[in-house]
Amino acid sequence: MPDSTFLDSTELVLNMGPQHPSTHGVLRVILKLDGEKILGTDCVIGYLHRGVEKIAENRTWAQFNPYVDRMDYVASVSNGLGYCLAVEKLLNVEVPPRAQAVRVILTELNRIASHLVWLGTHALDIGAITPVFYCFREREEALNIFEKYCGARLTTHAFRIGGLEYETYEGFEQDVKAFCDMFPPKVDQYEDLLTGNRIWVGRLTNVGVLTADECKEYGVTGPLLRAAGVKWDLRKAQPYSGYDKYDFEIPIRHNGDTYDRYIVRMQEMRQSVRIVRQAVESLPEGPILGKVAKVIKPAVGEAYVSIEAPKGELGYYVVSDGSTQPYRVRVRPPSFVNLQALDRMVRGGLVADIVAVIGTLDIVLGEVDR
Amino acid sequence: MADEQKPGGSEAPLPAGGEAAGQPARPSPPKPAAAPPKPPATMAATPWESDLARELKERFGGEIGETSTYLGQNFIVARPEAAIPILEYLKLEADFDYLVDITAVDWPKRPERFDLVYIVYSFPRNERVRIKIHIPDGYQPETAVGVHLTANWLEREVFDMFGIEFAGHPDMRRILMPEDWQGHPLRKDYSILQQDQRWVQENLGIESGQ
Amino acid sequence: MSAGKLFRKIFLVDLFQGLSVTFRYQKPKYIVTEQYPAERPKVAERYRGAPRLNTNPENGETLCIACNLCALACPENLIVVGSERNEQTRRKELTTFTYDLSRCMFCGLCEDACPVDALELTQDFELASYSREGLIWDRQMLEEGPRPTQYKC
Repeated sequence: MPDSTFLDSTELVLNMGPQHPSTHGVLRVILKLDGEKILGTDCVIGYLHRGVEKIAENRTWAQFNPYVDRMDYVASVSNGLGYCLAVEKLLNVEVPPRAQAVRVILTELNRIASHLVWLGTHALDIGAITPVFYCFREREEALNIFEKYCGARLTTHAFRIGGLEYETYEGFEQDVKAFCDMFPPKVDQYEDLLTGNRIWVGRLTNVGVLTADECKEYGVTGPLLRAAGVKWDLRKAQPYSGYDKYDFEIPIRHNGDTYDRYIVRMQEMRQSVRIVRQAVESLPEGPILGKVAKVIKPAVGEAYVSIEAPKGELGYYVVSDGSTQPYRVRVRPPSFVNLQALDRMVRGGLVADIVAVIGTLDIVLGEVDR
Repeated sequence: MADEQKPGGSEAPLPAGGEAAGQPARPSPPKPAAAPPKPPATMAATPWESDLARELKERFGGEIGETSTYLGQNFIVARPEAAIPILEYLKLEADFDYLVDITAVDWPKRPERFDLVYIVYSFPRNERVRIKIHIPDGYQPETAVGVHLTANWLEREVFDMFGIEFAGHPDMRRILMPEDWQGHPLRKDYSILQQDQRWVQENLGIESGQ
Repeated sequence: MSAGKLFRKIFLVDLFQGLSVTFRYQKPKYIVTEQYPAERPKVAERYRGAPRLNTNPENGETLCIACNLCALACPENLIVVGSERNEQTRRKELTTFTYDLSRCMFCGLCEDACPVDALELTQDFELASYSREGLIWDRQMLEEGPRPTQYKC
């Protein structure tokens, strides 16, 4: 007769390897499982480390601009905005209002595009295969606007230090307004598909709960913080690039679980459309580039500037030693800091929840690893 | 005066109190024979006057070197041993409950080679403060994980990139580079084309990555 | 549970609501899929594709004045501009122009830097090849553009 420990399960170490369709990039998660229950996780990152911070020390200030797009490659316009704002702060340059308004339009379109990728891939991981096609179809419209404006869809390099390089193209305002008219009914469609759906609700409620205190302890920002009940958005708390001129709301929810984060991001998309509509209707005339010298040489000093990227607080800590090359550029990636909370969010859950939680964290490995 | 300035935002035309005046005492250049060497340019920081700065100075006295502000962003320079007590004080008494970032800057020509920078933010006050400590190579600062859990991976990254080990960290190993990589890439003496040839040859099977 | 909620639960109303969206697309108003390579996408005018050295349409001379600004602007340092001084006009003339396409990230900084619009990034995006050879373009390749093999589909 086998003894009573025969049916006890042993701990299983499972490798959710760097190549995995649900890890949104090259993320390796080593899971310690007891059957299907997760006892602990260990994230191994660094598979996409390209040494962007080291590269920054070997290029001039303006030459480094295209490299920052490659970090959060899904929402590259935000990265460029953060870097340009940081260098403009060091140089003490004022960006003209027209450039600020166009920057806001492009950044909010880019936020919508990033949330569409998040929605499509998250739904795909949970099992809902249809939303990904619809989301990417709408993303095409936003990317078409980027392409017509700056020439590239993904690694846009849209902004320059001091303002913009390109004037808006003929028909920019019509295109943007057409997008604003087209988009809210599509968000309604996504909500029809997902929000009330019992499978979706059952899969996402009470999964990956992160309370407001835990969020602050772990330094988690972005939609995760807002879903936990903290009404904080850098666009309202420390406005940059003219965001204080526009009227928009910060969606918050209170449970801090995955379903709440879904609702927060859907409402953020709607608020972004609102901002874009206001910006394009009140687009001021004027120059697009501030007074920046040909050769950018900030004074000796340092600055930390952060923006509300679609994933959280994206910060740039730039140190200048007075030469034409940056001395140190530190990028504070939101996905890197948010990913630390993965362990806390999944403990005690089931293996299927890991996929939901990685999806809801909305990480982009390009940003985690730089 | 330079009171609680809100950092960030590119429309602030000029920082209050930083109109290129009030440069701190430059190192007085010794004048040998012919052409006197120009003193290295330093950051044009101005003193930071606020309640918080005063409270910190009262509480920590000599541990704090200077409290300054540059471009509207406040920072304090402290002695290395005082970093964690200052973080604790800021978190518990002054509501700075969110650690934004820990990073380091390498100044190889200084005896205190590294500049370890902690950036904290307070939700109620909507204010950011930087705490800088100057540490020499080989010094092991105390870990901030006890104060803020965010510091876990941030300190691992500082260790990985600069070689600064944190005493008391629960899991001090490399995070971005492979586990057995030799060398710390973001140091200034590590060239951009340099690689750990032994690792490349063992693990990738090629002569060199270049 | 109220009658309404019970009804919705048993008769799968929420699932049918989602399915109605999907079934409406069985007859879409327009089809988004582009049948590449039979249909080429319409690329924007400012698209940053393959580089081209423009020539003056009237006399066929190159517009490039060999000022080297594009080479200085490039983050990857992959442009090499060779020039020689023409003693008669006392100006620099372009002799060789090398562009390493394998390292180019199509950021457009060279196009922005050119003062005479000689270097331009065109709409050509079909630059894939099987090997790295042939990706360092010289002046002639840059002026005429790549001639990709045309296949009949």
